[in-house]
Amino acid sequence: MNDRAANGVQAPVVQLQALTKVYRKGAQEVRALDGIDLRIESPGMVAVVGPSGSGKSSLLHMIGAMDRPTSGEVVVAGRYLAALGDAELTGFRRKTVGFVFQSFNLIPNLTALENVMLPMEFNGVDKSERGRRALGLLDRMDLAARATHRPGELSGGEQQRVAIARALANDPPLVLADEPTGNLDSKTGQVIYELLEEIARERTVVVVTHAEPLAQRAKHVIHIQDGHLAP
Amino acid sequence: MTMLRIGARNLWRSKLRLVLVATLIGAPFFLLLVMQSIGDAVQRQTEALKQNVNNTLQLRARGSMGHVNMVGNEDILPQDALARVKRAEHVARVEPYLLAMTPTEGHNFAMIVGVDPKDTRRLESHGEAGNPKILFGRDLTDEDRGKRTAIVGQGVARWAGIKPEDVGRATLTLDLKRTHPVIFALDRPPVTLTIVGIYASGYVFGDMQLFMPIDTFRDVYGMTEGISWLYVRVDSAENLPAVERQLRAMLGDVADIISPTTVAEFQTTATAAVQRLANGGIGLSAALMVVVVFFVMLLVVRERAWEIGTLKALGASNSGIVAGFLTEAVLLCALGALTAAILFGLWGGPLAQLVFGLGVSPFLPSHYSTLANSLSLSPQFSAATLGILIGACLFAALAGSAWGIRQIVRLSPMEAIRHE
Repeated sequence: MNDRAANGVQAPVVQLQALTKVYRKGAQEVRALDGIDLRIESPGMVAVVGPSGSGKSSLLHMIGAMDRPTSGEVVVAGRYLAALGDAELTGFRRKTVGFVFQSFNLIPNLTALENVMLPMEFNGVDKSERGRRALGLLDRMDLAARATHRPGELSGGEQQRVAIARALANDPPLVLADEPTGNLDSKTGQVIYELLEEIARERTVVVVTHAEPLAQRAKHVIHIQDGHLAP
Repeated sequence: MTMLRIGARNLWRSKLRLVLVATLIGAPFFLLLVMQSIGDAVQRQTEALKQNVNNTLQLRARGSMGHVNMVGNEDILPQDALARVKRAEHVARVEPYLLAMTPTEGHNFAMIVGVDPKDTRRLESHGEAGNPKILFGRDLTDEDRGKRTAIVGQGVARWAGIKPEDVGRATLTLDLKRTHPVIFALDRPPVTLTIVGIYASGYVFGDMQLFMPIDTFRDVYGMTEGISWLYVRVDSAENLPAVERQLRAMLGDVADIISPTTVAEFQTTATAAVQRLANGGIGLSAALMVVVVFFVMLLVVRERAWEIGTLKALGASNSGIVAGFLTEAVLLCALGALTAAILFGLWGGPLAQLVFGLGVSPFLPSHYSTLANSLSLSPQFSAATLGILIGACLFAALAGSAWGIRQIVRLSPMEAIRHE
């Protein structure tokens, strides 16, 4: 993969320099991120913790090219995101990043299998390969038997496991999880976290979480407050 | 392809909503079909009038009725008028007639008409009525040319004592020396004609006519040349004034040109008014469709903003997401159109009549108040109707979704996900 440097030297999968994001709420200006410098090596799990409104999710969105920064530099898997146009950013998200959302965000009128196949369809993977890989991922999540079920027919934990399978569909080097256990009970949350830990053995997983005990199990923990990285 | 499939599937998310939306979109489609059927019916009516009735000019010798034995009205058109008229631009057909009169009972008389067998049997003073219905026997044919055969109206048959069962054998003798206060004698021998058919015109004077081949008429009345009347059919009513101008320039010094006013009046009043109203109705229906689709798609985009954001996050292109939403909008419109077409097939006729009566008739001149009764307002599904439905579907889907599409394209994945 292009994010891994030759000769055994690990290139950072994420590199942020002086990253700033300012939102406008009417006349008010909100500095969600204020001059963040950050370097994340691959593989492993990185937890981002901080109080509500501290800028955790904004940080995740900037790394995942879900939004453009106001200023600063974002380099992910060797690509300077500021230099990419909208269509290239779409391609970047498709190939480089897998997202896991707090509310699962599965497409309600597609089955679990179809939800997992979806990113591969966008990526041009042929149909039989899509089906084979999606079924394999669901099996890894212990959900093969639920492949033909729609999200409404699955429990919260099952939906989040489908979402994790979907995030892995195109085998991205980076998985971004925004409060993945936030809508789950603690026991189910524990299972999901363990799954993410397992995934983090082969790629970088950045998890935004409120749950400090879970965060402490990560390889690195990043504290963020008022848009600044806390020491 | 995936997004098109998702768009098509989205249609079935809520069946109740689908029924509601299809009905809402179907209503303006239904109105559009009704207005189109009214416009079409009026158009058909106008076309029929243009083709059959009112695009005809009548030429007679100047200041004369052109009846060869009518006191003070015996002047007829010169024979070369026929060839000159035929040369005029936009003239579709020219039909020459020769006319005379013969006394019947008391002070009454019958009209004697010489006509080419392939031309229209026009009835005097109801020239537009065209071929009367043959009740008994047969009509004149090409084989009757030069022969002493004729058809008569049922009034003439009654006067002459011709019974239906005798048609084909019965004869009628014209005495050209008989006079009448308005008929002068012609120094010609009497002639006996075989009556091959009896017709009915629907009115008394129309039934008091006799038609014989025009060359037989020339022989009987000794009119080697000349024409009583020339009926000039113009290729379309629009060209009527132009042809009239040409003919006036060509024959104005020898001919009176009688131009029908009804077509001009019909076109400038009833047809134009109805067409305007129908077009207005179609425009209103289209606008309503767009408004309904606009609100439906606005709701859909707002409701599924997080889905749009998720799809963007997963790597779906804007064009793919837009295609999915457009598929849904087009299918919604198609369902609305289908609903409207079914309703139109079931109740379109009476409703078109009602809409015409309430929404169109009040805007027409009073003498067209009965127009609705003569229009064929039954629902008709033609290729044009299908084309209109498909066109309206696409137009409403595209125009109604424009704002939603703008939102889809404009929002970043994060904004879309947070939009809920």
